[in-house]
Amino acid sequence: MDIKGYFVSDIPRRTFLGRTIKGGLAVATAPGLMALLEGCAPGVQPLTTVQIDRSVLDATIRRALSRGGDFAEVYAEHRIARSILMEESRFRSAELGISQGAGVRVIAGERTGYAYTEEITEEALARAAEVASAIARDNGPTEPVAVGALTPRPSFVTVELPLEYIADEQRLEVMERANQAALDYDPRIAMATINYNDQVRGRLIANSEGLHVSNELPLLFFIVQTLGVEGDARHMGRERLSHHSGFEMFEMVTPEEVATTSARESIAMLEAQDAPAGRMDVVMENGWGGVLVHEAVGHPLEADNIAREIGAFTGKMGQKVASDVFTMVDDGSILNQRGTTDFDDEGTQGRRNVLIEDGVLQGYMTDILSGKQLGMERTGNGRRESFRNLPIPRMTNTFIQMGDSDPDDILASTSSGLYVQSLSGGSVNTVTGQFNFTCREAYLIENGRKTTPVRGATLVGSCIEVVSNIDAVGRDLEFGPGICGKAGQSAEVSVGQPTVRIRGINVGGTRG
Amino acid sequence: MQYDTLTQELVDRCLRQGADAAEVFLETNRRLSLAVRNGELETVQEWSAHGVGFRVFVEGKMGFAHSNDLSDASVDQAITSAVAFARHMTADEHNLLPDDPEATQVEGLYDEDLAGVHLDHKISLITELETLAMADPAVNRSGGSRWGDGERAVYLANSHGLSKSYRSTSCSFGVTVVAEKDDQRSSGGESCSRRFFADLVPAEEVAEEAARNAREMLDPQMVRTQRAAVVFDPRVAGALLGGILGAINGERVLQGASFLAGRIGEQIGTELLTVVDDGTLPKGMATAPFDGEGVPTRRRVIIDGGFLRGFMYNTAVASRAGVQSTGNASRGGYASLPGIGPHAFYIAAGTSDPEAIVRDTPRGLYVNGVTGQGINPVTGSFSGGAQGFWIENGRRAFPVRGLTIAGTAAEMLHGIDMMANDLDLNRTITGPTFRIREMQIGGI
Repeated sequence: MDIKGYFVSDIPRRTFLGRTIKGGLAVATAPGLMALLEGCAPGVQPLTTVQIDRSVLDATIRRALSRGGDFAEVYAEHRIARSILMEESRFRSAELGISQGAGVRVIAGERTGYAYTEEITEEALARAAEVASAIARDNGPTEPVAVGALTPRPSFVTVELPLEYIADEQRLEVMERANQAALDYDPRIAMATINYNDQVRGRLIANSEGLHVSNELPLLFFIVQTLGVEGDARHMGRERLSHHSGFEMFEMVTPEEVATTSARESIAMLEAQDAPAGRMDVVMENGWGGVLVHEAVGHPLEADNIAREIGAFTGKMGQKVASDVFTMVDDGSILNQRGTTDFDDEGTQGRRNVLIEDGVLQGYMTDILSGKQLGMERTGNGRRESFRNLPIPRMTNTFIQMGDSDPDDILASTSSGLYVQSLSGGSVNTVTGQFNFTCREAYLIENGRKTTPVRGATLVGSCIEVVSNIDAVGRDLEFGPGICGKAGQSAEVSVGQPTVRIRGINVGGTRG
Repeated sequence: MQYDTLTQELVDRCLRQGADAAEVFLETNRRLSLAVRNGELETVQEWSAHGVGFRVFVEGKMGFAHSNDLSDASVDQAITSAVAFARHMTADEHNLLPDDPEATQVEGLYDEDLAGVHLDHKISLITELETLAMADPAVNRSGGSRWGDGERAVYLANSHGLSKSYRSTSCSFGVTVVAEKDDQRSSGGESCSRRFFADLVPAEEVAEEAARNAREMLDPQMVRTQRAAVVFDPRVAGALLGGILGAINGERVLQGASFLAGRIGEQIGTELLTVVDDGTLPKGMATAPFDGEGVPTRRRVIIDGGFLRGFMYNTAVASRAGVQSTGNASRGGYASLPGIGPHAFYIAAGTSDPEAIVRDTPRGLYVNGVTGQGINPVTGSFSGGAQGFWIENGRRAFPVRGLTIAGTAAEMLHGIDMMANDLDLNRTITGPTFRIREMQIGGI
C-alpha cells in the first residue's frame, strides 16, 4: 500500500513526524508491530506529542507536595480531533479541534486538590502545583520518589493506517459510501446523517511514586443515522462503529455495513405496534445490549461510591449477587476496542478484571484514590475526560462472559415476552440500584418466536434483582461502542453481551 | 486583555487567509468547585481557561476550527485548517451569518460581589448544608455536599461587522444523602443554582428537601399494571418538554424528523398548555443578550393555549425555511458549532393549587422521578421509568419505585386536565405541577 500517496501535512506541530513515517510504513506490512516498536525497541522514543523534561516534572511534583500530602501527579495532554457531518447527502460542516493542557493533583489523606493550566510551561505548572498543594494541611513537605525515565509499556492498540496519513478525501469517501448504501437500501429511507469523528490523544503522566509514562491513542467514531418514512410512520435508526485503531477500521467493517444495519432498523420499525406494559420475560440480543450490564451492574461496581459506603454493592464482596450463569468482566486490554486504554489516565496498566464470577462478587473497579480508601489494588479504571478533570473510577470494555446456550434455543424456549434487538442507552442510580434502558428495536415473543416489532419502550429494574433473574447466557458474545457519562465527564467505552434472557423485568409499553 | 479588539482582528485574519465570511467566538472561563463529605473537605478544583472557535465560509462552504492556545502560530494553524476543511464541504446558499448589530438588554447576569466571597465561607456553607441534611433521623449516610461557582465571558465578532460580548457569573450548592433501612437504600439530593450569591436559598431549605427526598422513598410498594391519572411534579416537567424541544427544532422539522412538522396553527394540546421560550428573564440561568451566533434573544410563546405557534431556528436553518432566526442558536462553547436550542423553556403557570390536584385525584401516580429518554421527537411516543407516590382517594398513600409510564405525545398533551400555579423560574427547563388524565402504568 502506498501510504505516502495519502499523506497530508495538516498537523505541522508533530515533532515526531519523520519517525512516524518510518514506523507507519513498517507497520503497514506488519500489523501490531508499531505497538512493539513504541514499547520495546531500544532507542525508539514513544510517539508522544507531550514532552516535559524530567527536571520540570520533578520540580512540579516537589512543589505540589511542599505542604505535605501522600501523592502528587502531573497529567499532560494534547489532542487533535476532527469531526465531519454529512446530512441530506450534503457535506454540512467540518471541524478541527486542538487542545492541550496539564493538570496537577495532590492527594492528602481523604482530600484531593486539583488545578490545571492550558499552557504547558515550567512556570504555569508551578502555579497549578501551588494551587493544588493548598489542600494539604501544611505539616511539612513530603519527599517524592524522583520521576524515572519514560517507561515503555505494552500497547493494546495497533495501527496500520495512522490517522495522520489519511487525506480528508478518504474521510469524505467513507461517508459518501455510507450515505449511498443507506439511500440504496430502500426507497423509504428519506435521509441519512453520517458523523465521522477521529482524534489522536497524547498523554504524559508522572507522579510522586516515580511513574513516568506517555503514549498516544488514536480513536475513530463513525455514526450513521437513517430516517425511514412511510405514510405517518417514521423511525430514526442508528448504528455506530468505533475502534482505537488506524483508518483500517473501515476495512474490517465497511461503511456500507454500518449504513445497512441502520437502514434495516429504520425500515423494520416502520411497522412497529404499541409495546406491552408490565412485568415480562425479556431476551436481549448480543452486542450493544450490553448497556444492560454497563448500567445495571457496571456503574454500581465502580469503587468511588463503594468507598463512600453508599453504593448498592457496598459490603457484598464475596457474596452471591447474581445468578450462577452470570460472569461479568471489565477489560481495558482488549485489542483495539473502543474502551481500551493501554494504561488508564493515572498510568495504571489496563487489564482483565473479573467483577462477578458465577454470580459471586469478586471485585470493584478502582482508581488510585478509591483503591487506597478501600485497601484494594488498582485495576486500571482511573479515567478522565481530559486534563480539565479529576480521574474517577470508570468502565472500559465491560461485558457478560460468554455462556454455553445456543441463542436460538434461548428464544425458542421463551414462550412469551419481549425480544430486544438493540438499545438506545440507559442510566442508573448507583445508590438504590434502580436502572433503566430504552429499546431502539424490539419485537414481541410469541410461542418462542420473534413476531411483531414494537415501539421503543423503557425497561426498568433494580440491579441485583435483574442479574439474579438472568437464567440463560448465549455463546455469541459481541461488543458495541458507547459514550458513558458520569459526574459531568464523558468517556469512550464499549459494552459486550451474548444473547441473554431475563426472567421478569418491567417494560414500559402503552398496551396494558 | 482587549478581547473585543482581538476577535475583530481575528475575523480580518480569517478573511486574509481565504475566507469569504467568518465568525470568531472567544470564551474565557474561571471556575471553582468544592466537595465536602462527612464534615471534611474532600476536593478542591480550580481553573481558568480560554479558547477560540473560527467558523469560516468559502464559496458558501463551511469549515470550523477551535483551539485553546491563543498564540499567533496556533491561531494561524486553526484558521488555515478551517479554510482548508471548508473547501471540502458542499456549498449551501443558506450558510449565512447574522447581521443584526443589536443585543437585548438583559438584567442580572453578573454578580460583582461573587468574587469577594471567601473560600472559607463557601466551605463552611456546604459543611453546614451537609450537617443539616444529616440531622434528619432517617438519614444515615452522606453522598457529600458540593459547591461550584464561576465566571464566563463571551466575545463574538463576524465579518458583517458584528462585535458583541457579555459576561456572567453563576454559583450553586447541593447535597446528596442516603437513608438506609434494613436492606434498603434510598438516595435524595437537592441543589440550588443562581447568578447572584445573595440569591441562593438558605442551606436549611436545600438540606430539608434532600433529606425528605431520601426519607420519603423508603418502603416502596408495587402496584399492578393499569391505566390511571399521572400527576407530574415540577422537577419532572423535562420528561414532557424534552420531546417537544426536539420536535420544534426547525432543522428536524425541515427534515421531516419531527412529530410536530407541518402543524403550526393546529391545536396540539389542551387549552391549559402554554409553553414559553425566554432568553430575557432577569437573573435567569439561561438568559443572555444574544444567542450562540449573535442574534438578539427574546421571549417567544411556542404553544399558546394548546395551539402550536412556532418552531426554533438559527440563522442558517431559518434561511432554509424562509423565515427569520428566532435567536435560538445554541452553543456548547467555543469548541462547538452553533446548533438549535432553548433558553428558559417552561410550561406557563395555571391556577390550581398543587395540593388540590392530588386531593382531586381518586387514584393515580404522583411522579417525581422519570428516567429514560422522554418523548421521542420523531415519533411522539413516550416511555419512561417512574417513581413517586401512589395516590388513593386524594392522598399520597405510599411510595412507588420501578414503575413505567407510557403514552403518546398527543394523549399526553391533550390529556392535561389540571395545571398548578407553582411555577419556579429558577430552573431552566421546568413547569408547574400538572395532571394528565390517564396514562398506561406498568407494574406487576
